[in-house]
Amino acid sequence: MMKKILNEPRNYVAETLEGLCAAHPQYFRRTGAEGRVLVRPDAPIAGKVGIATGGGSGHLPVFTGYLGPGLADACAIGEVFSSPGVDLMADAIRAAHGGAGVLRLYGNYGGDNMNFDMAGEMVELEDIRTTTVRVTDDVASAGPDERHKRRGIAGLVYCYKIAGAKADTGADLDAVTATAQRAVDACRTVGVALTPCIVPAAGRPTFTLGEDEMEIGMGIHGEPGVRRGPLRTADEIAEQMLQMLLTDRPLAAGDRVSVLCNSLGATPLEELYITYRYVARRLAGLGVTIVQPLVGRFATSMEMTGMSVTLFKLDEELESLLLAPCDCPFLRI
Amino acid sequence: MLTTESLRFAIGRWAECMPRCADELNALDGDLGDGDLGANLVRAAGRLEEAAPQLPADVGLALLRCAQAFTSVSASTYGTLLATGLMAAARLTKGREAVPWSEISTLLDAALRAMMQRGHGQLGDKTVLDAVEAARTATAGLDTPEALLAAARAAIAQACDRLRDARPRQGRARIFGDKGIGRDDPGIVALLRLVECLQPAAAP
Repeated sequence: MMKKILNEPRNYVAETLEGLCAAHPQYFRRTGAEGRVLVRPDAPIAGKVGIATGGGSGHLPVFTGYLGPGLADACAIGEVFSSPGVDLMADAIRAAHGGAGVLRLYGNYGGDNMNFDMAGEMVELEDIRTTTVRVTDDVASAGPDERHKRRGIAGLVYCYKIAGAKADTGADLDAVTATAQRAVDACRTVGVALTPCIVPAAGRPTFTLGEDEMEIGMGIHGEPGVRRGPLRTADEIAEQMLQMLLTDRPLAAGDRVSVLCNSLGATPLEELYITYRYVARRLAGLGVTIVQPLVGRFATSMEMTGMSVTLFKLDEELESLLLAPCDCPFLRI
Repeated sequence: MLTTESLRFAIGRWAECMPRCADELNALDGDLGDGDLGANLVRAAGRLEEAAPQLPADVGLALLRCAQAFTSVSASTYGTLLATGLMAAARLTKGREAVPWSEISTLLDAALRAMMQRGHGQLGDKTVLDAVEAARTATAGLDTPEALLAAARAAIAQACDRLRDARPRQGRARIFGDKGIGRDDPGIVALLRLVECLQPAAAP
């Protein structure tokens, strides 16, 4: 059965956005058709490269939460787990455009790719220059030889942070794009799911897992993962996840990384810290230094139980951009 | 010459004629998909009609507005593909207020390439791409609207006949497999009706 706190399922997204803007008017303003584009109140910022993003609802704070100084400028918002349409994406790009062009930065999903590409073509006919960077951090969604096919999950947060900080330095569109792509290339994430979520309009769980089962690598919409099996201890789960991440992108003594332990929705902070504790010990054992760890709810799948771990390998520039100031209700540095 | 005024004429014809084609297209689409193709095209024609008075004189920018009318109606693949084709034509005509009729085949060529790339479709898949290809070939070298429309209509009708017994290889229709054999592709028929609407003598 569906046990959710809601009114009419069809108003789920509109009411979420209404509440988000009512709670944080200093961060978010609604625009576009049916108010489905959120922008920073001070956007567009003249002379700064704009950063437009977008995607389906059901993942807060991703995508729309990360608007603000040092982050993204505008976000097109779709129904739960559905891509926003071309027009909304074009509106988001226009809202982000302060004269220096706009980077389209979003997770790699088929519908979003097609719609954002078209939106880019549309605004280019209006003489707005745009570029694209698709976030592809989910190592479970395709092999290392097909990294461009990987989905974007919690690593999005690092990519917004880095691209936003780079844009704030006054860098031009090509430089912001190149740095955002380097951030994508430096990010690896893997998730584990314990229980499903329910899409309000469907009223049914997105997948089923046995009482004592977990699935490693499951996507944030319930896309199949790589391994389903009995639920393990926190340390065993963390070890399995770390092995997948380190196999995909090995780390060596002296490397510096940021670590994001992210709840997919229902998993409590306690369990995230239990996992973080293991990851921190393991990385220390490898001689790897952790910088600016993030632990909390950053990229969710509504009430899904589970978590993801992201390793973000830093170099000098990425580290200084990661530590640069940013401000939104869900991330302040 | 193709001007924004020509586009306004076409939009007026579609707004008038498309409602008469809607049931047929909904039924065809309903056999293999969700049955809203006719309704979506009627809504798109309505949006086009709303946009018509304010269309800019620049043919490219006017075509862009037309593309936006299609994308604003629904996220359907068909609307997205038509919008993609219109945008490809917009890129080639931007900055001009009159485009020679002899360029129509070239514009169709650009539209076809963009649509194939967007939808990862191939010729012979039994989709609207086959209809555009037929029109592109048939309109080469023609330079009056009457000749262009007559040639396009005949060629699309022929493509429709030729592919009737083919198996659909793209989109939702593909999933239905053999069920699509012997049935006309809704997207091809829709383009045929769009062309027929522009010919007063042939209009449905």
